[in-house]
Amino acid sequence: MAGVNPFDDPLRFERRVPECTIVIFGANGDLAKRKLIPALYRLAYDRRLPPGFAIVGNSRTPLTDDQFREKMREAAQQFSEDTEFSSEVWDAFARGLFYLAGDIGDAQLYERLRSKLDELDGARHTGGNVLFYLSTQPSQYAAVAAGMGAAGLGQGSGWRRLVVEKPFGHDVASARELTDRLHTAFSEPDVYRIDHYLGKETVQNILAFRFGNGIFEPLWNRRYVNHVQITAAESIGVEGRGAYYQEAGALADMIQNHLLQVTATIAMEPSSSFRADSVRDERSKLLRSIRPMTPDEIRVNSAPGQYGPGRIGGTDVPGFRQEPGVDPNARTDTYAAVTFFIENWRWVGVPFYLRTGKRLPKRVTEIAIQFNAAPLAIFDGEASSSAPNLLIVRIQPDEGISLKFLSKRPGAGMKLRPVSMDFNYGSSFGERSPSAYETLLLDALIGDPTLYTRQDMVEASWAVVEPIEKVWRETRSDLPNYAAGTWGPAAADEMLARRGHAWRKP
Amino acid sequence: MAAVLTPDRILKEMADVWRTLGSQAESETGMGVLRACSMTLVVIAAPRDDSQALGETIAALMPEHPARAIVIHPDAAAGRDLTGRAFAQCWMPFGQRRQICCEQIEINASASVLEGALSVAAAIAVPDLPVIVWCRDLRLLERPEFRHVAALGTRIVVDTAQSPDPVAAIRLLERRLSEGVALGDLSWTRLTRWREMISQLFESRKLPKSMQVRVGTISPVSARYMGAWLVDSFRSANSAVTLEFEPGSERVELSGDNLHVELTRSGERLHTVVDGMKHCGSLPPVSDCTLMSEELKIVGHDPIFERTLRSAAVL
Repeated sequence: MAGVNPFDDPLRFERRVPECTIVIFGANGDLAKRKLIPALYRLAYDRRLPPGFAIVGNSRTPLTDDQFREKMREAAQQFSEDTEFSSEVWDAFARGLFYLAGDIGDAQLYERLRSKLDELDGARHTGGNVLFYLSTQPSQYAAVAAGMGAAGLGQGSGWRRLVVEKPFGHDVASARELTDRLHTAFSEPDVYRIDHYLGKETVQNILAFRFGNGIFEPLWNRRYVNHVQITAAESIGVEGRGAYYQEAGALADMIQNHLLQVTATIAMEPSSSFRADSVRDERSKLLRSIRPMTPDEIRVNSAPGQYGPGRIGGTDVPGFRQEPGVDPNARTDTYAAVTFFIENWRWVGVPFYLRTGKRLPKRVTEIAIQFNAAPLAIFDGEASSSAPNLLIVRIQPDEGISLKFLSKRPGAGMKLRPVSMDFNYGSSFGERSPSAYETLLLDALIGDPTLYTRQDMVEASWAVVEPIEKVWRETRSDLPNYAAGTWGPAAADEMLARRGHAWRKP
Repeated sequence: MAAVLTPDRILKEMADVWRTLGSQAESETGMGVLRACSMTLVVIAAPRDDSQALGETIAALMPEHPARAIVIHPDAAAGRDLTGRAFAQCWMPFGQRRQICCEQIEINASASVLEGALSVAAAIAVPDLPVIVWCRDLRLLERPEFRHVAALGTRIVVDTAQSPDPVAAIRLLERRLSEGVALGDLSWTRLTRWREMISQLFESRKLPKSMQVRVGTISPVSARYMGAWLVDSFRSANSAVTLEFEPGSERVELSGDNLHVELTRSGERLHTVVDGMKHCGSLPPVSDCTLMSEELKIVGHDPIFERTLRSAAVL
């Protein structure tokens, strides 16, 4: 770095990417085509990439640079949802696209990669800065890390960072083993475990909402909060990912990472600053405060589910076991509901209900914080007892925050009715929201890991999820147990009913 | 409405607007409308302004910067009375069922009662939120009534682009700045995307010891701002710098020891060449709406603009 930039204008300028190269392993795969290249193209379109910015794609398929550029051009055109495709912008962007074919198990690949990076540094002044992105099958992470470690690619004249996609192992031991392998090439501060949920605007807004305002934090504890519900519902099925999904399941695919990270964000203690490690320390501390349950507790505080055939919007849809590539006897959970208990002074005794599932009635992700009722009901009428105060944080779609409370109905008499005070993210700030990948890629390129998951957080969440998976594996649940297009199995409703609660219908 | 305007009357009229909107929406969709407000935006229109076009610009600003908008129209025929009306700007966000609405108040005032119009605006500004004044008539900065404008707004935004004498316009702004007024100028806002690109080039590049800067004409005032900003920035990093203006082209050229940078607008693109390496990004044409949208994000002083304004005044 050349020190402080005298041209900077933080009041007006957007965040910008420094001179660097991104190396994408698995560049011919779906993630690169659907998410990474469109996000990078958008950054170029918005003038956030420097002229020397370069991308080196790798996969086994033999391609020339021009063939790779053409494939990526098609991807950018097809998947850049809300960005105009400009040939002029693309052509300038594509001049920085390069391709290196090779098997990631082949040590020679990393030597050739090192030469390529040196060459680019000379030609495009990238300052030796490199972001490596593992967009391969998870089973290949270790091999890539080993190859890079042996070739010394984790060190260079500039910064070196590694972005890893989930899953980060399948239990505590495998997560630890993966980290050990990644650490052969990169130290922990340079490992960026991506969780695209944390890149969503509203999830980031939770921090602003909680810690930028003084009025909510005094209520944010067991004295005032009755319980918390976090829902991530999908209306679609496995959409061609049946083979992968039946190995993972909803608990591992969603709750272990996304929903526990969201829980940590909503429940963490205020951090002393907005510095990355300060925020991540608090998230990590929160995750470590979640009590791992005993098998008996798991049986009453969790509910696996799997969808059977049903009707959505007047159309018949197949059950999970009828999906292509899925074992007809699969015991995979396509739905998971778990009650978590956070054992710290702030939250002890407050149940956190998390649920996620496929083929539910609609696509919605939200956090609902239900507050305790007023200590004395002085008004007559049903509304005063049946409409609790709720704070709803909607993550998708229709991002925003709503506060539900009771108000007097106009007119004579003291009749109450629930009303909603809404903050709608899209309409209150009508700017285009960047995609989660734009945000997170930019963060990684700038070196801000606040929204990335750290190893201790991964281990802490596996520590609470692993015992649940074990009990579910050992218990012969009657699957499928909910019809496509419904809100999940009856057991999930019973889980809440035991405490006198009910799931919201978002 | 064509009756004498008082703050109480406007506030009552606004309450009526909300009641009507609420009951209409309730009967049509079963839910009321959502009132959105993050500031008061006072627009003092210029005599040349097309009120319909200005209304469209304000309406387009509302989804991003929901505000109570108070538009003061100069009306020579209005005599000594203030007249006006209150209404709501509503829109339905895509895919949603509830309308979002912002309040708008139009006040017609002759030049002789502008002070009265400003006092009404001050009385009906939303409490506890910023008040941004978009003063579309630069001449107002020279008139005694400007002290009421300055007292009303937390920030005053003007546009010097059409000023017949750029040097005089810059000096006038600098005088107001020295009186403590937080100012914005759309001639400066027009440079943001250019400045951002230049800044990015020097993010991790060592600055040359000496630089030659050539600045083309984006507008005469903008060119002076760009020149002053570049000179200030290079000098703050101890680079010696010479500045030339090059009328007739939309480009900026920086040359120094082993570094040559050119930024050129071509249609809706910004082309950048750094030592022969080419880059291209989107540079859509700016409208008053896009410029104001950027300015409304800043509710207080803008230190870099203010530093540049002071330097531009002595270029």
